[in-house]
Parts: sequence; C-alpha cells; structure tokens
Amino acid sequence: MQASKAASVLPDEGARLGFRLTLPAQILVLFIAVFPLLMQLYISLTDWSPLSGTGWWNAWSMWNSFANYTDLAADARFWSALKRTAIVMIVCVPAEFLLGLALATLFADEFPGKRIFYSILLMPMMVVPAVAGYMFFMLFQSGGPVNDILSAMSGVPVTIAWLSDPTLALIAVMVADIWQWTPLMFLILLAGLVGVPEDQIKAATLLGANPWQRFVTIVLPKMKTIIIIALAIRVIENFKIFDTLYIMTGGGPGVATETISVYIYKLTTQDLIWGYVAAIALAILIVLSIAAVFAMKRMARVREVAA
Amino acid sequence: MSTIHLQNLVKKFGDFTALKTMDLAIADGEFMALLGPSGCGKSTTMNMIAGMEEPTSGKILFGERDMAGVPMGRRGVGFVFQNYAIFTHMSVRQNLAYGPKMRGAPKAEIDRRVGAIAEMLQLTPLLDRQADRLSVNILQRVAIGRSAIMEPAIFLLDEPLSNVDAAFRAVMRTELKHLQRQFRQTMVYVTHDQLEAMTMADRIAVMDHGVLQQVGTPLEVYNNPANVFVARFIGAPGMNLLKGRPAESDRGLVIDLGPLGATPPLPVEIADAARRMRGEVFYGFRPEQVRLTEGGRGLSMPVSFVERIGARTIVHLGEGEIAVKAVFDNDVGLAIGQTAVVAPAAEAVRVFDAASGLALRAG
Repeated sequence: MQASKAASVLPDEGARLGFRLTLPAQILVLFIAVFPLLMQLYISLTDWSPLSGTGWWNAWSMWNSFANYTDLAADARFWSALKRTAIVMIVCVPAEFLLGLALATLFADEFPGKRIFYSILLMPMMVVPAVAGYMFFMLFQSGGPVNDILSAMSGVPVTIAWLSDPTLALIAVMVADIWQWTPLMFLILLAGLVGVPEDQIKAATLLGANPWQRFVTIVLPKMKTIIIIALAIRVIENFKIFDTLYIMTGGGPGVATETISVYIYKLTTQDLIWGYVAAIALAILIVLSIAAVFAMKRMARVREVAA
Repeated sequence: MSTIHLQNLVKKFGDFTALKTMDLAIADGEFMALLGPSGCGKSTTMNMIAGMEEPTSGKILFGERDMAGVPMGRRGVGFVFQNYAIFTHMSVRQNLAYGPKMRGAPKAEIDRRVGAIAEMLQLTPLLDRQADRLSVNILQRVAIGRSAIMEPAIFLLDEPLSNVDAAFRAVMRTELKHLQRQFRQTMVYVTHDQLEAMTMADRIAVMDHGVLQQVGTPLEVYNNPANVFVARFIGAPGMNLLKGRPAESDRGLVIDLGPLGATPPLPVEIADAARRMRGEVFYGFRPEQVRLTEGGRGLSMPVSFVERIGARTIVHLGEGEIAVKAVFDNDVGLAIGQTAVVAPAAEAVRVFDAASGLALRAG
C-alpha cells in the first residue's frame, strides 16, 4: 500500500521538479518566439507607427480591426513584389538545383585537382552577401567587367546599362543569387549522392542499365528526400532574398527588382507604417511556415531512416 | 550456361599484386567455390570475371569468347552481392523486372518472366512488398531472382551468407544449393567460410596471397591438401603439422620429430617419396584421425587444454612449435596436466616438404 502510494507520488514530483528546472528556458523561449509574434499580431491590427507619439502598448487606441489586411489584399505594389519574388524563385532555385546536381555528379568521381576545385567552388557561399552585392554591382556597371568580356567576345564595344534596365537588372540580380547559392545546393546534393549505395549502382549496371537509366532509376529515387530538403531550404531562403539585391539595385530601377523583403524594408524605414508592415510580415510568415513544416517532416523521416 | 577459363590472370593495384598468374577452368554447370582468407585475391578474381575490374594481364574466356573489353552489363553475368544490393526503394516486383525493363522488353513479356521467376522462387505472394522490409532469406531469393531473370550464363556470388547469423546460415546454404540445382548454371561462389565451400561446391579453389593453392573436390582438398597452407586452412581445427627429419629404422622409414621421438613407420607409398628428401619435412595428420593408444607406440604429449564443444571434445596437446590437436568423443577422460599417447591412423598421414611447403605424393 505504502509502496504503491510512493510510486504514484514520485512521477508527479519528478514532473513538478522538471517543470521548475525548465522554467527559465521556457520563459526565454516565450520572449524569443511567442512574445514578438503576439506583439506583431497586436500591432498588425492597429494603425500604430513609431511617429504616433505613443508606445506600442498603447496601439489599441489606434485600433483598425482588419483594415491592414484588407489594404494588403488591394495593394498592387505588394502583389507585384510578390510576383517578382516568385519569378526570382522560379528561375533561381531550379537553376541552382540543376547546376548543383551537375556539379555534384561531376565531383562524385575522382579527377585531378578535385580538392582545389572543390574549395574554389564552395567560396561564393562563404562571401558575406552584402560584399557579394557590391561585387556584382561593380561587375554589372556599364564600364564593368561583364561588358568588357562581352566586348572582347563579340569584337564590338558593349555598353549595356545592366542595372538601369528593368529586365536586365532582374537578370543581374538572379545571376548573383545563383552564383552565391549554387555551392550550397552542390554541397547538400553531393552529400546525398555519396550516400547512394555503390553496390546498388553496380547491380543496376550488371543488369544492363546505362548511365542515364541508373541515374533516373537508382540515384534520383535514393536522393529524393535530400533533394526535397535542399529545395525547401533554398525556396525559403530565396523568398527572403534581400541583401545582395538591395545593394545592387535598391529594388530599382523604379520598382523593377523590388521583392517582398525590399518592399517591407522600404515601408519600415521610409513610410514608417509599422502596423501595415506587421500585417505583411505575418502573412508571409504563415506562408513560409507551411513550407517549413513540410521540409521538417521530410527531415524527420530522414532521421528515422538513418536510425 | 557457359564454361569459364582464366588464363594467366594477373591483377595489380599500383605496386600491390592482388592476383599472381591465376589459371582456372570452370566447367559448364559447375559450382566452384573460391575459398581463402581475406586479401587472398578471391574477390578480385570474381570482380574481374564480372567485368567490374580489368585484369592487368591475362585472359578471361566464357566458352570460346574472350571477355576483354566487354563491359559488365553485356557479359551475361548474374551477380549476387554480399549484402544483396536489393533496390530498397522498389517493390519485389520492380526489383525482379529491373533487368528486362532496362533492356526495353515489352511489358507483357516482363510480366510473364517476373511471374515465372517469382513462382520458381516462391516469391509470388511477396511481389508487391516494398523491398526494404524483407527478411534476409527473402532478400537472397530476390537477389538471385533479379539476376536469374536475365538468364545469365554465369552466376557469381560474393559471400552472400556472411551477414547471416550462424543458426540461419545452414538453412540458407541448403536453399542456395537447391536453387543451383534448379537453375543448373555455372556458379562461382566467393567465401572465406570453408563450411560453405565444403557443403555447396562441386570443386573448391583455395587461394592465398593472390596465389591459387589447390583446386579439387571438397574431399580431395580435405584429404589430400596440396601444401601446408591448404592443410592448415581446411578443416576445423586444421591439420596437425610437426617438423622433423626422415630417418630409417628397422620397421621402415620414420620421421624423427626431435624431442617427441620417432613417428610410427610411414606408409610405403609416402616413404619412397620421403626417402628422396634431403631437408626437413612436416609430418601431418588430421585431428579427427587420431586415436589414444594405451601404453602403445605413439606421440607422448602433455594435455595443455581441453575444449568441449558438445558433440566432440578437442584436446590440445603440447605447446608452441610442438603442438597437436586431437578430436575425440565428448566423454574422453583427459584433463589438463595429464600425458596422452596418441597415434594417427596410418592412412591419414601426409608428409610435406618443409622448404617448399608442398605435399609429397606417392610414386
């Protein structure tokens, strides 16, 4: 009787102690994640701005219900920024993926100088994005190296004003993103490629599969999970494209390269309508979270398989 | 079905010679085991037959056809990998259908061939199972079926039982031998496990350090090892070998084993060959072919260890250079410290040239 009583008390005791021990960490998490989120939700339902002369906690006096969200639905500049972000993503992520996969396939085999090329290939990823932005800003000047090379190749002097032309500026920005982030794709895909069991590839060869058939029937299916993870990471990151782009074009000419992040940045620092910014940011967060949950589920499955 | 001829086959990896001039003829429909310790060149030989590696020199013939430059997908070779290399992301059906599909066989024909092979291997109820959740004996059958569906002339098996636990190995051995009888294909089986080689193979090729030591039926290899390596390697425990010199006695030729004294006289057939020897020899006999002689003639040695393995008891006699193992019934009354007098059966005695390691043959 006594023993059973002790047994019924102990786990409870343990749980209580555990709660007390983790309390500081829980409060920290609350302040890092939950509190800002709630604050953002609160502000997004008001017209509050840092210029309104009152603290954010008093924002309820400027309550506007869902006016920010209805404005958002009608904001043409927001929708075109979203469309532009999507275009950048649709071009960059597949380009980075295909280039990364091609390079990973190349690097899965041995060739002379592999280690040096490998290091060089990973370098763009290490460059601070702001620095990369300046590099490409210089490269795409009308008197810059890109035009010089085009001149040398065509034999006619080329003076394209890359960053002043709406279409070309967008292309330049995408080139910079592809340059910087293909290495990450390459690295992840190479790890996946190396993990494909070699004897299964040999078995396929012995059964008469040619290299392309082996790639499609063995290598790609084995890499499926890692490909999804790599794509998810890049989709999420690419959606937030900002620093390189902002330094190269500042979103211009006009709004020709204005992506969601650039638009939010301008609203925050120039228009100072923070209630509206909070609404946009929250809307985007929800969209990205769905993508992230999808990616996390995949990663959990990878761990399961590995275990 | 096809014969395999290896002619002067050599494989070097940089400075390391993995295989030194291998000559081997494998008959049509024969089950040949390549047996040896790790690093003996057996897997290298197998990989060259499969076309995964090119020989440094020498020839591989399938029937009359020289295989030089024929890529591995076109050799008509079925290969069963050590871990089976089943395509785990596919179903059993997709695994079996893989070969014909890659070669563009029509769908109806693939279905028919998969159906037939699945029936033969009793895989029909498992066809739609995912291949990553199969037990090891089913994996083995899928691996064999996946190769067999291509109707290869030759089947190569690379230590397929080494990942299976001991209790299950006996079942798998039986099954494998049964499958070979069904397919009647030329099979080459690489293993380091002599029990597998002994129980399944028609002939065994014993290898060591890239050199083919002996080729023969399991009994030949066991009874008449060609050299000291084979004598020690085959059998569990291996053959006892005691160093000594041939010496004449009034009862015939004996071997003077030094501190152990002289052996019983050698059988006449070997005595003639041993008489011609100048240097030292090994006096060899199987641990299973030893009997205790109560006060009779034999080797008198102290018992150093008694290993009771159930059905039988292995008694270790002597120490260091002068040591012998003997297998007796499980109730043998010997204990550590006692002295046993043992004598090998006369017909079981083998003599080897200590310098070259080669067995002395009668005549």
